[in-house]
Amino acid sequence: MTLEMKSTESPGPQHVINRWISHVLRFGVWSSAALMVAGLLVHWLSRTVAPAPTENPAPGEVLRRLFSTSVDDVTLMYAGLLLLMLTPVLRVLTSVVGFSVERDRRFVVVSLVVLVMLLAEFFFSLHLAA
Amino acid sequence: MSLSSFLLLFFGGIVTGTFGAMLGLGGGVFLVPFLALAFGLPMHQAIATSIVAVIATSSAGAAMNVERRVVNLRFGMLLEIATVCGAILGGVTANLLSGPTLARIFAVLLLSVAFMMIWRTRRLKSEDGATSQNGTFPSSFRDEATGTVVSYTVRRVPLVMLVSIVAGNISGLLGIGGGIFKVPAMHMISGVPMKAAAATSNFMIGVTAAASAFIYFAHGHLNPFIASPAVLGVLGGSFLGISINRRIKGTALTWAFVVVLLLVSVKMFWR
Repeated sequence: MTLEMKSTESPGPQHVINRWISHVLRFGVWSSAALMVAGLLVHWLSRTVAPAPTENPAPGEVLRRLFSTSVDDVTLMYAGLLLLMLTPVLRVLTSVVGFSVERDRRFVVVSLVVLVMLLAEFFFSLHLAA
Repeated sequence: MSLSSFLLLFFGGIVTGTFGAMLGLGGGVFLVPFLALAFGLPMHQAIATSIVAVIATSSAGAAMNVERRVVNLRFGMLLEIATVCGAILGGVTANLLSGPTLARIFAVLLLSVAFMMIWRTRRLKSEDGATSQNGTFPSSFRDEATGTVVSYTVRRVPLVMLVSIVAGNISGLLGIGGGIFKVPAMHMISGVPMKAAAATSNFMIGVTAAASAFIYFAHGHLNPFIASPAVLGVLGGSFLGISINRRIKGTALTWAFVVVLLLVSVKMFWR
């Protein structure tokens, strides 16, 4: 019993996965929040009266516009929302890597199943939209 | 977007996020009615906005809980297969239904959430500590309140997977997290301690919500001018709710919200 309790307290290689997942989630939430705040600030400061978009752009288009010189308020907000939606996907990807480091084959497979379902659905949705 | 609508969305997000976190319901249960009733947003847009806010609060909370190892990672990942299947079906179904129909289904959900809350205050307290040691997914965590290490195993996994499909389906259909159904199931059926059940459920919610969020996005229901302030508000509100929760405990609060839920339910039904 004492041994068991010790093993849960020490941050061995077993718990590397916890730290990685935690970092990925924090990164996703705070970067997307920052992008949305930036988008709102640009909107208020530039006072652009762009009409509200009637359909959502393709993620690739958002990415292209984000790194162009003509980055606007709507693009920044979309980038934030998309990054937020992709954060859980990144978290599952991290689990795949983490469980392979822990050599837990069964859970590499479980994580892969979740990842494949999410990605398949993501691309299928985009295909449907296009 | 006018400054007044921005402020309404942001502060509406803060209030719904705070209440959601205080009651362990997540933001969606209050955000969807707020957007639909107070802001007059079409149901599909309200749900799409809520589902993205749910991803934010779930991820922020999970970052903390995973680090503290309160989350049962393996059990959660396995259940995610079930919730994601349910969520995809829910998201597809929602986009085939009309706004008024979705509002009525949401009204029924609020009614059942109100009943779950009454049942939770009466039933779950006495069940605490009833953990089993001869199941699967052995896990242990440090309970910060008592300072002890709680070890447990998980029983009857297939049954909880079934509940998870339904919870995922409701999540995708109505834009809520679904923890109100999963947490009692994990605790009562599988014998997972309440704190670990709540943390593991919250951990799964991000992935579940992402699954249906893509569908709403593809259908063009996500307006960045509405979603950005609302999501930021809910995120801030959830932190506020958690810190208030550490100070105030009481069943009077629960009863007050049961009344609110019932009123909102009636309002949603005859919208």
